[in-house]
Amino acid sequence: MLTAVKNQGKISILSIKYALMKEMLNKTTFLTNVIFMILNNASFIIQWIVLYSIQDNIGGYTFQQVLLLWGVAAGSYGVSHFFFENAYELAETITDGKLDAYIVQPKNILLSAITSKVKTSALGDLLYAYIMCVVVARSFSSILLFTFLIICGGIILTGIAVILGSLSFWFKRADMVAEAGNGWMTNFANYPDGIFKGVVKVLLYTLIPVGIVNYIPVQLLTHFRLSNLGIVVGFASVIILLAFIVFYRGLKRYSSSNLMSMRI
Amino acid sequence: MRKYVFIFKSEVMSSLQYIWNILFGFLGYLVILFIFFQLWQYLYSDPSQVIHGYTMEEMVWYVIVTEVLWSSLGGRKLCMKISNDVKSGNIAYNLCKPYSYIGYALSSHLGSILLKFIIYVILGMSLGLLFLGSFPSISILSILVVLLSSILATIISTLLITFIGLFAFKIEDANPFYWLYSKFILVLGTIFPVEFFPQVIRPILQYSPIFAVTYGPAKLFVHFTLENAIEVLCIQGIYLVISYLLCLWLYKKGVKNLNVNGG
Repeated sequence: MLTAVKNQGKISILSIKYALMKEMLNKTTFLTNVIFMILNNASFIIQWIVLYSIQDNIGGYTFQQVLLLWGVAAGSYGVSHFFFENAYELAETITDGKLDAYIVQPKNILLSAITSKVKTSALGDLLYAYIMCVVVARSFSSILLFTFLIICGGIILTGIAVILGSLSFWFKRADMVAEAGNGWMTNFANYPDGIFKGVVKVLLYTLIPVGIVNYIPVQLLTHFRLSNLGIVVGFASVIILLAFIVFYRGLKRYSSSNLMSMRI
Repeated sequence: MRKYVFIFKSEVMSSLQYIWNILFGFLGYLVILFIFFQLWQYLYSDPSQVIHGYTMEEMVWYVIVTEVLWSSLGGRKLCMKISNDVKSGNIAYNLCKPYSYIGYALSSHLGSILLKFIIYVILGMSLGLLFLGSFPSISILSILVVLLSSILATIISTLLITFIGLFAFKIEDANPFYWLYSKFILVLGTIFPVEFFPQVIRPILQYSPIFAVTYGPAKLFVHFTLENAIEVLCIQGIYLVISYLLCLWLYKKGVKNLNVNGG
């Protein structure tokens, strides 16, 4: 069992490595993607400077905490999109019959499918996340905790993308639902939860778990509580399990018309 | 001109097939508006408060108009299409066709977003009414001017994004430039009116593309005056000419160095 997990891990790392090497073929494009993504994220600092010129505290967050929130959001997004970019294209992969290429491989189908592509610009998100973390947290232990939290966040985001993408096994147009759902996770992630009230706040900790990916990690980085860490880790574990169950249940329904294509 | 009208019509007909995509896309727009509505409700703890000359209702309407203009534009897709046309060599097919590539890109993109624009306007206005309970007091003539200004804003945005997409002649992937441009518009021109920024940078923002593509039409919708209308339309006219000439210049310069290997 342990050897199988180890082998699968090696295969997934190799898959990501080759996908990255493909992206790095054109160095200028690679660097532009990374640097411009950092600038792209940094431009939102202006928005918060303007908002904090109106009020000192927004939704219970200080300016520093909002920077940390952006760091956590960019980091989780970066982990998910860099390592598992194809999870966001799973719906199209299933609908277009492109899953055939992964089914014939002797390793885990889901992991092979979602690690076959990297998003270069997500490296920019990851770098930006660490810049924010260093600017605000400034301690080695915080950086370690931050790393752990963004990995958990990235896994949750990927799990949600897989569950939403797998709906394509059952429904037509599930790609649109997946796109909308993944978009919601990103849109809510960058605003303090204190500005939301009532049902929306409940949704942000349940159906649209932005609270667990972003808000609780920010709380953990400012005031560490073991119970909060347990919530994040527990939720990530449940989502992974659910993602595998939904994908493999759906896979039983999968059929294609022997699509012939070439993957370079 | 007739050929461009034909391309425009074909794209409108084709977009009718994707009505579900438009409606699902609106869900994203709805979330953004909802977040801003919550944010402004939080910041305007007293609903009668005026911040930098704007009441809460005016701020919400401002964001609705700028978001309609920006979200219905589909700029990322346009930039990717132009950039891919250059990268893949597809642009070479246009060299022997009896139309200008810029005219084709403009008319086809405008046709593809017309339906989305109309749906977003209707749904955006309905959402504003639902959030706030009333429309700003604005005359029929003012609405027509705002509509004209919004159409001009969309054409200028399309040309500016086409210009960015054509950067692919120089650098393989033009998309990073689009990210920066979109954030420039989003942060400085969509979320807040120019009046929210420090006095020092206001003149720069006021004459930047932000004025022509988002701030101008939205400002007219919330604070309509005849002087403002003339100023906005004149600046949009200037931007229209400049953005078209920029596209033409970069396209002509780019195709001179075009190398297409096989097909």
